[in-house]
Amino acid sequence: MTAPLYAYGMFNENTSLLFAIFLGFIFGLFLERGGLGNPHKLTGVFYLRDFTVPKVMFTAILVAATGLYLLSDMKLLDMSRIWIVPAFFWPQIAGGALFGVGFFVSGYCPGTAIAGFASGRIDALVCMLGIITGSLLFAVSFPAVDGFYMSTPMGGTTLPQLLQLNHWYVIGFLVLFAAGMFYIGAHK
Amino acid sequence: MEKNNYSSSYIAGIGIGLSLLATFYITGWGLGASSPFSIFAAVGLERLNPSYAGSLEYFSRYLNTPSPLQDWVVFEIMGLFLGALAGALLSNNFSLQFDRGKNTGRMTRLITVFAGGILIGFAARLSRGCTSGVALSGGSQLAVSGFLFVTAMFVSGFLSAAIFRRLWL
Repeated sequence: MTAPLYAYGMFNENTSLLFAIFLGFIFGLFLERGGLGNPHKLTGVFYLRDFTVPKVMFTAILVAATGLYLLSDMKLLDMSRIWIVPAFFWPQIAGGALFGVGFFVSGYCPGTAIAGFASGRIDALVCMLGIITGSLLFAVSFPAVDGFYMSTPMGGTTLPQLLQLNHWYVIGFLVLFAAGMFYIGAHK
Repeated sequence: MEKNNYSSSYIAGIGIGLSLLATFYITGWGLGASSPFSIFAAVGLERLNPSYAGSLEYFSRYLNTPSPLQDWVVFEIMGLFLGALAGALLSNNFSLQFDRGKNTGRMTRLITVFAGGILIGFAARLSRGCTSGVALSGGSQLAVSGFLFVTAMFVSGFLSAAIFRRLWL
């Protein structure tokens, strides 16, 4: 078991920052090439006319999830050393809901706004200034929202742990869900 | 209208999935995009008004580190910008524009894109991440956080499309 490489001390922080630029570069390249720097394509799913966002997103999730759990099953990667975003039920439901409004109204999300700006879109730069402003607003109002922010914690739980199912059943279900969605979206 | 010389959604998804898998393997965490904006807000405010910035408890997580900008995700989004720029230039897809729906005026667009950005920035902090850090990275880990966020986001996006339908028609 030697991965994650950084957790096992294979390189120092400065090297990890070089990896950050490289991995971000590949991420940005495929975001732009997939059309995710374009707000018309990003919002298309909400009119049921362009399924680019769910297609790219679910393909990426299934590829990464399959690889991650395969490496873990083969004992090539230590899952307990992977940082999992902790779940907080109501904050993430409320956050996701607010985010959905912002996503539709602006036509971007943080990563795609950067990709949009990189493809020449000045409106995406305005979106980025808005995101900075919104982050500032959160920090300013933090004393008031802190209680809610910390409420209904569920820890770094995964669906297989929560449902007490083998991870391949969960991945299999996601494959079926994605296949159904891709089929519906195939002609859009 | 838009030029549509994009690659297949499946190719893009596989590329993003593999870069995310490589990120997990190399670093032990996933790809993010929203936290740098929060770091920029903290560092910017500290330049303008150090005592007020220092009084904000939420920003102490960045400002109490020796160099807040020397952050993995800050470097990652620099790479993201360069990768997207390379993709747009190499495919002849780069064009300077103020993009908007064809029924949306410039002034309306200026307001909606900024207001939408504010909502995104606030919501990403509340959710502990965005479409990259929570939806994509969390989803790939089969993390409960990722699925809570994605479900709420899509439901709300569809409701928003019903209410603000004209924006992108």
